Amino acid sequence: MRWWPGRKRNEDLERELRADLELEEEEQRASGVPAEEARYAALRAFGNTTLIREQTHEAWGWSQAERVLRDMRYAMRQLLRAPGFSVIAILILAIGIGATTAIFSLVNAVLLSPLPFPEPDRLVWASEQDHSLPGTAMDSLSYPNYFDWRADNHTLEGLASYRDGTVTMEIRGESQRLEARVVSANFFDVLRVAPLLGRDFRWEDEKAGNHTVMLSYAFWQQAFGSSREVVGKPIRIDGDNYTVAGVMPAGFQFPLDGAAPVLWKSIADDADGRSPATQQRGYDTLGVLGRLKPGVTVEQAKADLSVIAGNLAQRYPDSNKRLTSALVEPELEHLTGDTRGGLRLLFGAVFLVLLLVCANVAGLLLARGSRRSAEFALRTAIGASRGSLIRQLLLESLLLSLCGGLAGMGLGYGLLRVMLKYLPVEVPRISDAGMDVRVLGFVVLASLATGLSFGAFPAWRLSRSAPAAALRDGSRSVAGGKAQHRLHDGLVVAQTAIGMVLLIGAGLLMRSFVKILQVDPGFDAKHLLTFRVGVPFVPGRHDPHYLAYEQLLKRVAAIPGVEAVSAGWPLPMGNHSATVSFNIQGRPVALGDEPDAAVGIAMPGYFETMRIPLIAGRSLGEQDGLSGPPTIVVNQAFAKKYFPNESPIGHRMQVRMGDDVFEHPVREIVGVVGDVRTKALTADAEPQYFLPYAQAVVTNPYVVVRARGDVSGLLPAVRAAVHDVDNSVPVYEASTMEATLANAAARPRFQTYLLTCFAGIALLLAAMGLYGLLSYMVAQRTVEIGVRMALGAQRAGVLAMIVQRGLLLAGLGVGSGVAVFAMLTRLIAGMLFQVRATDPLTMAGMAGLLLVVSIAASCVPAYRAARLDPMRILREQ
Amino acid sequence: MSSMEKETQQQRSSLLQGTLDMLILRTLLYGPAHGHQIGKHIQRTTNDFLQMQHGSLYPALHRLEKRGWVTSKWETAPDRNREFKYYRLTEKGKKQLVVEESQWKQMAEAVARVMWPAAEES
Repeated sequence: MRWWPGRKRNEDLERELRADLELEEEEQRASGVPAEEARYAALRAFGNTTLIREQTHEAWGWSQAERVLRDMRYAMRQLLRAPGFSVIAILILAIGIGATTAIFSLVNAVLLSPLPFPEPDRLVWASEQDHSLPGTAMDSLSYPNYFDWRADNHTLEGLASYRDGTVTMEIRGESQRLEARVVSANFFDVLRVAPLLGRDFRWEDEKAGNHTVMLSYAFWQQAFGSSREVVGKPIRIDGDNYTVAGVMPAGFQFPLDGAAPVLWKSIADDADGRSPATQQRGYDTLGVLGRLKPGVTVEQAKADLSVIAGNLAQRYPDSNKRLTSALVEPELEHLTGDTRGGLRLLFGAVFLVLLLVCANVAGLLLARGSRRSAEFALRTAIGASRGSLIRQLLLESLLLSLCGGLAGMGLGYGLLRVMLKYLPVEVPRISDAGMDVRVLGFVVLASLATGLSFGAFPAWRLSRSAPAAALRDGSRSVAGGKAQHRLHDGLVVAQTAIGMVLLIGAGLLMRSFVKILQVDPGFDAKHLLTFRVGVPFVPGRHDPHYLAYEQLLKRVAAIPGVEAVSAGWPLPMGNHSATVSFNIQGRPVALGDEPDAAVGIAMPGYFETMRIPLIAGRSLGEQDGLSGPPTIVVNQAFAKKYFPNESPIGHRMQVRMGDDVFEHPVREIVGVVGDVRTKALTADAEPQYFLPYAQAVVTNPYVVVRARGDVSGLLPAVRAAVHDVDNSVPVYEASTMEATLANAAARPRFQTYLLTCFAGIALLLAAMGLYGLLSYMVAQRTVEIGVRMALGAQRAGVLAMIVQRGLLLAGLGVGSGVAVFAMLTRLIAGMLFQVRATDPLTMAGMAGLLLVVSIAASCVPAYRAARLDPMRILREQ
Repeated sequence: MSSMEKETQQQRSSLLQGTLDMLILRTLLYGPAHGHQIGKHIQRTTNDFLQMQHGSLYPALHRLEKRGWVTSKWETAPDRNREFKYYRLTEKGKKQLVVEESQWKQMAEAVARVMWPAAEES
């Protein structure tokens, strides 16, 4: 078969026809026809030339491309012919596809994108498993355990360690507190990222005294003006000299959550001192990251490390007794672990919205298709096959959905921008969300799938209408028949059901969020300013450090508007925590079996400033100073757990924590304070004890300032006061306690807002779907209604009939929605706080809301039906 | 709506289509000819009984060409100094003519037996 390009073939045909036509004209003239008439005679003899052309085209057959183009043109004409319908359908589709696209781009950035390192699938996170706490992963390893894991494993190419840390540096004359990490020498090598400048860390950089740092690109630019000279030179950090080994490439960061560090220190830093961290097997601070050998599975690595952990538990029972096995997870999974549930929930919700959109647009198409039934019938009658009708209808749907997808992409991008603005910041990698190839592919696929799914039902349904009946009835009365109505009813019920599922979900999250906001954190967050100061400390010499704090607090207290000031650690919701093992005197246990509890540190007046209530005994005061007897205060949860039937006051306990001056002293419990929610608003307070800061100088505590009024304007005065005491001390991590609390509720707030937004869209669409169906029904049954009214039906009766119909459908939808939700409770249960996923109040409330909205949507067409004039209808018939 | 008209036309022409194809193939058995010649020839030989409009030949010619029964070529007519599109019967076309001829004969005999049963008996 020959295939000529269309244009050339057309020209050829034109030439052929012209040649033959001229010949005919000549012959006519030759047979005596006058010249001017010969032309017309020739044309007459030839016949309709346009028709000839068209028939010849038919004879060539349509090429596939031509056919699609023709159908496309036809579909376009159909959409343009009903601009109102098209605009509404495209708008609805744009909302569905747009919302889905926006959420998908979040999912894509956070969950799907591979880690930005070579062969990221081989990177694993590892940790110890405490067999007495199944299901909870220890976050960290101690140095000696890490060193043993690193040396003894057979499944990893490398195992690197990292821990958080901050450094004080003087930059352009100003002392600043900056983010840093302390990492093992093979850290960059395990990640397979080489320094941009200089050299990688070497094993000897881990030895005590070899203070080496790697600079981040951004810090190198900002603090050193991108000078290549800095490599190999010493720089001053925390009052010490560090050699710059190199500069990492721009954008390098690991771990990917948390703030980007300005530099990485080698672990030589932790090898200094009298009892260095690198030699304390019980001091867990390290995150570890491994790279699997090629072909090794995560399970194999887990088994391998578990053997080592088991051996260590036997060899070092004092510290490792309970750490009998290892946990290994792909790094990506570990990174995205706690965001996955939330993102899945949102994606599930947005997928439901998209389904609802499909059902909604399918309903629109069905109603519109009924109006076109005469057209379809005619086309069938003159020979169009069912297949070609379906193809035509599907093409129209696809065109609609592609237009919707295009608009949706714009909408989705806008939505994404807005979401990123109000997003809880702590979700790793989320700020990378944008429109990449995968998102574009998703939009195209979603559009096509949407178009096919909302187009398929109506196309299949409409193509089945019997041409004879449809032609006879025209478009006025019952076209399509019962089956079509049933399909349309089904679509409306489905929409209501989906709407119901989303409404219940949103309702539950809303109630849960309100509960979160009502949580009493255990202290008064109003008018509290918090910050840290980088007061340096020298191991073994605490007096100057502590005295500096005392002086500083006194100075801040003198600022006008300040009601009280103190310092403590950790700050509630501040993302810091530490647990330390302890023993209670008179209750002997083996060293390795000693219980753990959260440790806190407080300066005099801390509980009063935070307004944490004192339950029994006394608070920590000036007497618990450098020279006073060792004391300790516990919280209620601690008292309840360890002293269930007696007062803890007067008992003595020993905390396994030392600061080189106070080494594990036996302390007397002098007071019990109220519980404070430290980790999250939704987490119950854990047993916790507080040590007087003077007797446990381990970290820079948070200074807490209670103001008499508004706290926001206080920071400059505070900064000035601190610098008045010591100009070289940086103020950092300044925030208000209310902002910290708001941040703690950021994730549930985000999820709640978004799901509520989706549920609102769903409610609107479901109502629109019902309204559309009933309007269509009224239009279809105009004559019937007219006859009924002529025979004496009351207007109220007509109104009730339509509303009843709407209510029946909505009721069915609500019922099935509840049933569907009952199967999905597992998915949302984990997101809820103090609300059960089967909360009857929420279900009833949302069902009520949906039914009320449905009645409202039914009333408009019902009212229209009741106002029909029977005389006019019957006359027109 | 043009697409619909097209389809109606197609229905009407389909009846004669097979016959027309056969007549064209038979005409070309004499040698190559252009569209106008073929039309004129059919009209003349049937003593103007088949008063077709010449134009309706072209869809048929193009259809035959697509099926490979005829080929076409622009050639200068011997009597005029102009080029015409000449159609030429292919081997495949010749075979097709035999098939169609025998089918037509069977058809004509069958029709004849119904129409004139007496003639058959005698």
